Amino acid sequence: MSDTEREPCLGLDIGTSRIVLARRAQGKFDFQAQLNAFVSIPFSKLTHKVLKKEGVPHKVRGPEILIYGNESDRFAELFHVETRRPMLHGVLNPGEPDNLELLRQIVAGLLGSDGKGGGKLCYSLPAARLVSGEEVKYHDAALRHVLAEFGFELRSIDEGLAVVLGELEASNYTGIGISCGGGMCNVCLAYLSVPVLSFSLPKAGDYVDATTATATGEGATRVRLIKERSFVLNGRAPDKVHRALTVYYEDMIRSLIGAMREAFSEARRLPRLDRPVPVVLSGGSVLPEGFRERFEGVLKESSFPVAISEVVLSPDPLHSTARGALMAALTDM
Amino acid sequence: MAPGKRPRADIDQRARRIRDPIKRLRFLRRVMRPRPAPVPEAAARQYQFYVGDCDTDDRPAPVPEAAARQIPLSLLMGGLFLVFAGMVSVAGRVPAPLPARVPAPLPAPTARPVAAPPQEAPRLWLVEKTAGGELYSNGLRVETQRATSTRPRLYRALPRSSAQDRDRRWRTLPAGIVFHASESELASFEPERNGLLKRQVLGLLEYAQRHGLYHYVVDRFGRVHRIVEESDVADHAGHSLWADTGWIYLNLNASFLGVAFEAQTEAAAAHSALSPAQAHAGKILLEILRGKYAIAPENCVTHAQVSVNPQNFRIGFHADWARHFPFRPLGLPDNYRRPPPSVALFGFGYEPAFFDSADLELQASLLGADEQVRQEAAGRSMPPARWRQILHRRYREASFQTIRERAALTEAPAPQE
Repeated sequence: MSDTEREPCLGLDIGTSRIVLARRAQGKFDFQAQLNAFVSIPFSKLTHKVLKKEGVPHKVRGPEILIYGNESDRFAELFHVETRRPMLHGVLNPGEPDNLELLRQIVAGLLGSDGKGGGKLCYSLPAARLVSGEEVKYHDAALRHVLAEFGFELRSIDEGLAVVLGELEASNYTGIGISCGGGMCNVCLAYLSVPVLSFSLPKAGDYVDATTATATGEGATRVRLIKERSFVLNGRAPDKVHRALTVYYEDMIRSLIGAMREAFSEARRLPRLDRPVPVVLSGGSVLPEGFRERFEGVLKESSFPVAISEVVLSPDPLHSTARGALMAALTDM
Repeated sequence: MAPGKRPRADIDQRARRIRDPIKRLRFLRRVMRPRPAPVPEAAARQYQFYVGDCDTDDRPAPVPEAAARQIPLSLLMGGLFLVFAGMVSVAGRVPAPLPARVPAPLPAPTARPVAAPPQEAPRLWLVEKTAGGELYSNGLRVETQRATSTRPRLYRALPRSSAQDRDRRWRTLPAGIVFHASESELASFEPERNGLLKRQVLGLLEYAQRHGLYHYVVDRFGRVHRIVEESDVADHAGHSLWADTGWIYLNLNASFLGVAFEAQTEAAAAHSALSPAQAHAGKILLEILRGKYAIAPENCVTHAQVSVNPQNFRIGFHADWARHFPFRPLGLPDNYRRPPPSVALFGFGYEPAFFDSADLELQASLLGADEQVRQEAAGRSMPPARWRQILHRRYREASFQTIRERAALTEAPAPQE
């Protein structure tokens, strides 16, 4: 047994839409995920009793019941309400006063018996935005406060770097890792595992959902469910929701590549790369079929300042960041 | 070639040889971690190494005639060897006549050598001492029938900072421990082989005693045998060096204890080189030694980490425990992570075969130390090879200083503890 396996090590991807926990047992990676969302329904004793009986994660807060995690989607459809998010654009949502408490509950549910103290935990953080990065500092401090309660030795990792560590073993952890999540896209260029340049862009899946919802008159949650179940990014759209999704996905991809081109062009100290580097795409927003091809097409059209060898889709896009965070915990702490 | 390009390519290639992704990533993150920027020249002189005035000339300083007369033959031979090594290391250069300047006479050693006071170890004590052995409160039993005396330990460490120079004193207590492997023939560890196993131990102990090789031998049954008295010098480390945060120790026979495990580390299946009994005995022996002499954990290292060859300025002349030494089970930090001072401070290199056989953490430390030397050279706007030559010269200066001081000591009254 290696040293790393003797001590419990965990990787935690705290994303705007999902929280994913990665463990390693007997040489294999194991993942658990919960939606980072909740719905609020009116309190009644009967509802409370039923929720307890069914084991639905919830919390009573005055006149309402907050149902959080994976069950929030089902209850949102059932009660025709929108899910709410403890986080927004990659950081804590200032409009939700219970954001930290809900995060604590969701994380506690994922940790289970591992949350009783000891071990090492590496959690993901968004990179600073191109314009301003101050909000990440508060987000980090608040998360650290919550996670410290579980008794772990803590370390944070840039989300884009986590993607590199999780996916780019073949290139010796050299390349560009991109995580397109709900709240933001995170980008990191790493060289032999060392982050060289990273940034985030607050335009990702939630932006696509919200703008599509506005354009079509549908609810954002329903748009998201349509996107996840049937959307293909191939230019052919059977209805207005799919047409709008195509438009806003295209906008997101172009914004992302434009931001990358700008950031890489202005970077002062890029390493001399002796060969083209790969780009790996991960996160929930890269799941629609055709995303990789469209991204690659737009990238080729742009005069990108770094030579790219290939654009690959992570084989497991929803778990890339958590996997990379776990790799960091296993190797760096 | 652009500065820094080749080393990074090396790192890339070496990492690709590591098949386990976690080990590979750990290796990369160790090697590639940010290092402090090179310090300015003036500050660097003060911080990194200090052995008195340093010439810019590569020639070794002359041995004072008066002192040379007092140098024992073995030390004199060693000195001549180092002179030769210094000459051959500057390829193609014809040795110039020795400078006329004669170093100032060395101050006489203080009458009473002082070593660091031992830390209190309230829970560890000698319970019983008999003709055949010693029993300690942590369960350690030391077989003392073979204990022999050689010559008393006496050494001076070199300060890493000029500010410490005034604290430089003769010491009689060990500053560290070097772990060895006997690399002797080992039968399979089975009850059917009892007779052979015992004969092998006996042969090892007799050999070690005859040559005064180690202070302790821990056999495969977990028995701890004292070979050389702790107060004396054992011939265990040869040309070697190590450094902690404050001091540099050259040729560790005098300054470090030698603890040998009956083990083979160069065999392919060395991963579990120690028997459970041996590991336990090693752990409680370390508890006693570290408690008795206040030995810092960073000064508990393996022979492979400290062994050097001054003739070709390569490390790993002896390669026992270049990998798989169980630091953590013995209650120590993983000292493979410490960059060998021979490389970082004196510009020693290493053979590819040694690198390939080394522990992953040691490999990372070697590459990190290399990178440090390159950065220092870059900070001085000189090629790394030139900077290495200067570091080599510092090593030779330090060696000569040690020799001179030992020689001068023979004229002074015997120091008292």
